[in-house]
Order: sequence, then C-alpha cells, then structure tokens
Amino acid sequence: MSAAQFTGQDSKQQGIHLRPILVTLFNHSILILFTVIIVYPVLWMILASFKTPGELVSNIWGLPADPAFQNYADAWEKAKLGRALLNSGIISIGAVLVVVCLSSIAGYAFAKFSFRFSTVILLVFVFTMQAPVPIIPFYVLFVRLKLTDSYLGLILAIASGSIPLSIFIFQAFFRSIPSELREAAKIDGCSEFAAFLRVVMPISGPAVATVGILTFVGAWNEYFLPLLLIRSDELRPLTLTIQVFFLQFGRAEWNVIFATLSIASVPMIVVYIFLQRWFIQGLTSGSIKG
Amino acid sequence: MPATTKPEGTPVKELLRRLSKLSPYLWILPALTVYSIFKLYPLVSGLQMSLLRWDGIEEPRYIGLRNFEKILRDEMTLTVLMNNVHYAVGTVVGKIVLSLLLAILLHQALKGRTFYRTSLFMPVVMSFVVVGVLWSWLFNPQFGLINSFLRGLGLDFLVQDWLGDAAVALNSLVLVDIWKWYGFHMVIFLAGLQSIPDELYEAARIDGASVWQQFLHVTLPMLHPVMIVNVTISVMGAFNVFDIPFIMTAGGPANATNVMALHIYIRGFKFYRFGFSAALSYVLLVIVTLVAAIQLKLMTSGDNTD
Repeated sequence: MSAAQFTGQDSKQQGIHLRPILVTLFNHSILILFTVIIVYPVLWMILASFKTPGELVSNIWGLPADPAFQNYADAWEKAKLGRALLNSGIISIGAVLVVVCLSSIAGYAFAKFSFRFSTVILLVFVFTMQAPVPIIPFYVLFVRLKLTDSYLGLILAIASGSIPLSIFIFQAFFRSIPSELREAAKIDGCSEFAAFLRVVMPISGPAVATVGILTFVGAWNEYFLPLLLIRSDELRPLTLTIQVFFLQFGRAEWNVIFATLSIASVPMIVVYIFLQRWFIQGLTSGSIKG
Repeated sequence: MPATTKPEGTPVKELLRRLSKLSPYLWILPALTVYSIFKLYPLVSGLQMSLLRWDGIEEPRYIGLRNFEKILRDEMTLTVLMNNVHYAVGTVVGKIVLSLLLAILLHQALKGRTFYRTSLFMPVVMSFVVVGVLWSWLFNPQFGLINSFLRGLGLDFLVQDWLGDAAVALNSLVLVDIWKWYGFHMVIFLAGLQSIPDELYEAARIDGASVWQQFLHVTLPMLHPVMIVNVTISVMGAFNVFDIPFIMTAGGPANATNVMALHIYIRGFKFYRFGFSAALSYVLLVIVTLVAAIQLKLMTSGDNTD
C-alpha cells in the first residue's frame, strides 16, 4: 500500500519524526492562544461581577478578595432584571412558536407540492431576506397597526426576519423524508394536513430543534427591534434593559453592570455548552444549504 | 388520471377540484402574509416617504427628490460611507482569515478538539449588548484590561484611548465585531472542510504536493462554495452593523465610528427627519445590493478560471 511506501520514504530523512510533534505543538499553542483571547474576557466579566468598585481599579487581574454577592442583589433590583428576563422569555418563546408553525407548514408545501410561482416566491425570499429594511416605513407601519409597545408587535417583527431561512431549513429536511410515509397516511384516510401533523411533524424533531434554537438565540439577543418598538419600562427585554441601565448607572457602578451582564449571558452560555450540537447546527445549517 | 377524461360532475365537485388546486397556496399563505406585511411592504412603502419633508408629527410635504439631492451634497454621507467601507474591509478580512486558520487547525486530529471548538464559538451565543458593554470597559484607557495588559508587558507605546481617539476607535470596533462573530464563520468552514474527501489529499501527496500546495490546490478550491457563503454573510453584516457602534461609541468621537445604519437611525429618531432618513435607507439598500452583486460576480467568475 501507499502508506508503507510513504513511511519508507520518510525514514530516509533524519529527524522527520520530530516534525509531527512540532506541528502538533504549534497547533496547540495557536489554539490555546485564541481560546484565551476568547474565553478570558468572559471569565473576567464573571469574576468582576463579584468585585467591589475599589477592586475593579486596584485589583484588575486578581480574584475578588471577598465575593460581593451584593452586586447581584443590586443588579436584580435596580435594573429590574426579573421583569426583563420574563419579557425576554415571552418574546423569544413567542417568536419560536410563530416561526416554527408558519415556516414548517410553508416549508412542507415547497418540499412536497408542485405549484405555479413556487420558484418565484422562493427567489423573492432569497433576494429580500438579507436586505436592510428601511426603518422609517417599518416604524410607521407598526405605529399605524398599533403594534408598537406590545409583545405581539415585537414577536411579529422578529419572526418576519427569520421566516425565509427557517422555510429553507424545513424544506430541505422534508425533502429528505420519503414520500411513502405521507402516501401511507393518506391511504389510511388522513387528509393531507392531518398526515403532516400526525405523521411528518412527529419525526421532524431535528428540524424543529434547529429552527427553534436559531430563532430563540436571535430573539433573546435582539437589540435593535426592541429599541425601535418598545417604549414602556415594563415591556423592555433584557438587552434593552441592560443598555438603559448602562446609560443610567454605568459610569458609576461598573461592578453592578458586570453582575447584570453575567445574569444575561451565563444562562445562555450554559445552555449552549449542553446543547452545542444543536446550536452549531442551527446557526450554520441554514447558511450552508441556503 | 389521463388528461382526456373531462372533469364531469356537479358544479360542487368542480369547485372542490379548483379549491384543491389552490391548497398549496393555503399552506404558504400564513408565512407569506407575515413576511409580506412586515418585510416586503416597508421595503416599498418607504419609497413614497423618501419624497417627503416630514418630522413624523406635522403634515408631510411633498418635495420630490430633494432629500436625495441633499444626501449627495452632504459631506457627512461620504464620511459615513467611507467609515462603513473601512469597517467592512476590516471585519470581512479579519473574520475570514482568522476563522479559516482556526477551522483548519481544528480539523486536524487533535486532543481537546471539542473543548477548543466549544470555547472558540462561545461569543456567538452572547448578545451584542453584553459584548459591547463588556468591551467598553476592557478598552477603558485607565483601568481596562487591554491597556493594563500592555503596560504589564512593558509595551507602553501601544497604550491607547481605544474608543476616545478618533484615529483608532473604528478599528477597536472592528476588533470587537471579529471577536464576537468569527466563531460562526469558523464553524461553517469546519463543515466545509469535513466535506472534502480524504482521497483528494492522498492523491495530492502521492503527486508530491507540500502542505502549502495541498492548501492552495485542494483545500481552497474545495472550500469555494463555503467561502462565498462566509464572505456574503460578513459583507452584509458589515453594511447592516448598528448595535456595536450605537452601544460603544454612539458614532463618536466626531463621527469617526458613524456608519450607515446608525446615521439613518440618528437622522430619523434623534432629529426627526423621517423623509431624509427614509431616503438614506434606499441609498444604503442600493449600495448593499451593488456590493453583494459585485462580490458574487467576482467570486463566481473566479470559479470558471479554476
């Protein structure tokens, strides 16, 4: 085999066995360097959330001498984080429900039925999904529909942005499901829609998870749309709450700010670490197929 | 059924037959309705608003193409646009080079691969608000981590007012954007690398190709489709960027970090020049479309010469 040929060739040169070790060493050192650059600021943020304001300037690199849990109590109360978490949860789950329902049904039609204009409609999605929406007519539309300052308005605004990509993900998944399943269900007397609901959807977990996570992360982290559409304090999601709090108290109470940032991001990071396969699939699959 | 058999029967049956032809449209109707109202309609309805002098409160006045004329004459337009081009070049080059390098390293059979990948991808799941506020502090000239690190290494000449100095602020934002997003591109490259068959590398090795030659003649050409996806997404992202400059610098100092999306927002919602802001949106839309078209054209014509 060619492998034997290679080892024979290699051993002619002296020190060749050192090379793979050096290469591995080099690879690891680059990866470790970038891991530190990426992870350290996040770790530092969590450590800083337990420091006192004095420590933030005197003890920049060290561990907090005496963890100041008070920062978290302050953050929770002053920034009204409880309410903000609730709002972010409602908005994100609402967006996931809307996107999964609408785009799974539409994706199924694009995958399994042939009808006029289907290609045209898909092309409209492709060409408009990345286009920056003019914000003035967008805002005026929400004002006229009386959808500013409401959960529903924000959910629809977020959902409309992720519908095309989600349709593509569902369409690709449904294409891979054999049509015999649907035929069998129809022979058993199911209508087309009942077959979709009872036979197809129950085995579509991976696509639902992919679209669901993609939409959830996007909605949870969305900042611009709430900035544009939400006016009252009680409806602010986490991102907007943090930014408003930062403008109000930031310059004075950085330690409390870091506690707020940790509360906002640590849960998402933990969920990500446990479900990372789905996260990575969700955030990449659409863009590779699309 | 053969087409020759006429659809006989009662008008009711005929109606049902026609309805069943409509049924695929019923399936896509809900999604299409939401998308049309909230995404497509504003894309069109703003055209009429761009022809108005309007503060959002008083009666709008039709002024023809005056807003577009003002945009072309305004020096600010060029400043903001050049900032945006600078931002795009910086982030796209930075993200692509870094993510490709790390994806190739992660593609090797290495111990701790999953750990590295998990860590390197982490900022992607964080919000821009968290990232922006965190980095505002890391860039703090007196107590921030960056300057403190540079002083510790004795590199005092590199110490900067990262966000306050008009000459460096835009590049600081570019760094933050790369830090936040390159992991996303890395994972896409990684998926692309995994789809390259090993036989291609074996064949190249038998032909005596060096590691560098294998990269140039096997890896890069095979990654071309994934490269197009990555470049397109990062270019679009750069011309739509709003969160980072809005949160970290509000476009300052002296407009050094003002970019198109931010300019549009400030004209609209700080100065209440709705018509002017709407017109600016269409200028951005045309620019983004042109850039995307040119970039796709360049990247796909490179395909043919290979």
